[in-house]
Amino acid sequence: MNGIQGCPHIAALVGLGDLASGPLRKFQEVVAWEARRAQQAKTVGATRKKVSIPFCSTCKVPLPRPFVCLHCSYAGCWRSGHVSEHLQESQHIFCADVTTGSIFCSDCKDFIYHARVDELYRAAVVTEEEKQTRFQVAKKPRERFQSWVPTAHDVVALENAATIPCQRRRGLLNLGQTCFMNVVLQSFIHNPLLRNYFLGDKHNNRSCKIEEDCTCCEMDKLFTEIFSDEPTAFGPVTFLVTTWRKSTELAGYQQQDAHEFFISTLNNIHSSSRGSTNISCNCIVHSTFAGQLQSDVVCERCGNETSTVDPMLDISLELRGKPGEVAAGENTLTTCLKRYTQREKLGSKQYSCSKCGKSGQQEASKRMSIRKLPPVLSFQFKRFEHKGDKSVSRKIDTRVRFPAILDMAPFTTHVVKNAEKENSNGSMSAYPGPITMYEYDLFAVINHEGQINNGHYTNYARYEDEWYRFDDDKVTAASLGSVLASPAYMCFYVKRHLDYKPYTTPSYVLKRENEVAREKEIEREKELSSIKELEDALLATV
Amino acid sequence: MPPAAATPAELDALQAQLTQRLLESGEWDRIKFVLAAKLNDSGWTDDMRNRSKERARTIEPLSFNALLEEMLPPAQTSIPLAIRRDVIALIRGYIDQQIE
Repeated sequence: MNGIQGCPHIAALVGLGDLASGPLRKFQEVVAWEARRAQQAKTVGATRKKVSIPFCSTCKVPLPRPFVCLHCSYAGCWRSGHVSEHLQESQHIFCADVTTGSIFCSDCKDFIYHARVDELYRAAVVTEEEKQTRFQVAKKPRERFQSWVPTAHDVVALENAATIPCQRRRGLLNLGQTCFMNVVLQSFIHNPLLRNYFLGDKHNNRSCKIEEDCTCCEMDKLFTEIFSDEPTAFGPVTFLVTTWRKSTELAGYQQQDAHEFFISTLNNIHSSSRGSTNISCNCIVHSTFAGQLQSDVVCERCGNETSTVDPMLDISLELRGKPGEVAAGENTLTTCLKRYTQREKLGSKQYSCSKCGKSGQQEASKRMSIRKLPPVLSFQFKRFEHKGDKSVSRKIDTRVRFPAILDMAPFTTHVVKNAEKENSNGSMSAYPGPITMYEYDLFAVINHEGQINNGHYTNYARYEDEWYRFDDDKVTAASLGSVLASPAYMCFYVKRHLDYKPYTTPSYVLKRENEVAREKEIEREKELSSIKELEDALLATV
Repeated sequence: MPPAAATPAELDALQAQLTQRLLESGEWDRIKFVLAAKLNDSGWTDDMRNRSKERARTIEPLSFNALLEEMLPPAQTSIPLAIRRDVIALIRGYIDQQIE
């Protein structure tokens, strides 16, 4: 190993069987307490109630950021050293920062990490959050998250499985101007929901019934290659061929637009998914990427408001700084989203009010907002301007700054409407539910350098905490700083915590059950009719 | 208003009382939320995360305290002036409400 050792004290504690040991149970309790307190603090402003807060056991000051001893009821300040003193004096080992769930070991004299502690932290926080959120439409509580527990069948299968080492970071060979495809495939490979689906064998390319050109099978094969023990770059030849056959507009050896390939491939995965439907589909593509956009149009004359809801798989954002425009400050993802969701006037020719009657005469304004946030948010910056005929285009090269952590709440329908009413200016008390429900983490960035016809695509992608740069077959370690400074064309964010709605049987399971039931019915009828034939034959001889 | 020549002990007690009121009313959390959002929007949060992480790769011996000691001063000085002003104004606004 490289000389990094974990804290032996926490390892010993975890080894005891976590919840039996007092300190780890206390850890979960204080973390849950903090999640409750934070939610209370959000809502208490309007009432006269007070949030109960801890005070330092040593110096009695109120604690905005309490550090709690995991062995006794002591709580104290970190900065002034009171909690460390307590640990020394009473020979207690661990204290925890309730805000982040970080644990300090007084023997190692440092904050320590253990994967099990991380799990306990997240489980405690998510459990609290589940209690705090109700679905706006059904008013039902969230489905509670349950850790996966292997069945007896799973245990046997796991025991008989062979483990292989895998790098998990494989480059992709450029097959001739195919960097546009490679960057999108890397964004799929590092997409936790897609990865889990295909690694979970939900679409096995060997048992798939589709004869040819099944994009799901290509995805399955891709994940098998990436998670194999082969470290050298992989050439996604069959993926390319299938793409050419399913999406003929992308066929040929010239450079294509990565975003076009992205949308096209999502559609191909959807259509080759078992049980996919045209409305309310819950195939892997829609489960992962589908959100809803709401468009509210208000007639300036009579105030009549009409709303339409449209599905979306990604969001395309206009950039400032086009030639001919007055450059007004930095382009950031947040300012692009603000522009996207701001109220804008519609030309009088575009709108006719159903209430006022007179067509084409009134002024109206329109506002977009996000009604439903998907687990994975994909953004495209509209850098390529097409003027009529596709071949005459121009690239907008302005830099866009985007964050590693994105709070989408200000752009949701609920918050946007609230802000218009009260003019509350981004107050967090407008957010229904805990703030983490709206938080997203960046996991992949697609870059484009150069001009439209002789440009090159590369991408960055994150696995857990480490970033890597992918340039076709070349994969190198990268810093967050270099990712955020790169010339982004597309950005992918994943929700911090997934929220599950009340369980319904997935459509592909229902379809399978229906097929089985129908087959049984056909069998039964065959049997009945052959019995009847036999009876008739017997009667005929009498 | 406290008398012009307040002792350090009196100021400490006043600060503790204001902190308590800020926490109990939830105002502390609301102001902290605004601060965190502004810092993230300005790119400061990502910059600090990046610098801390890259520094942690090379600092020897690695410990939280060693890293904090190095990163805290530049973290404080690099906070954009406008954000500092805005948040101080929010705090001041609350204090003015609390003290006649």
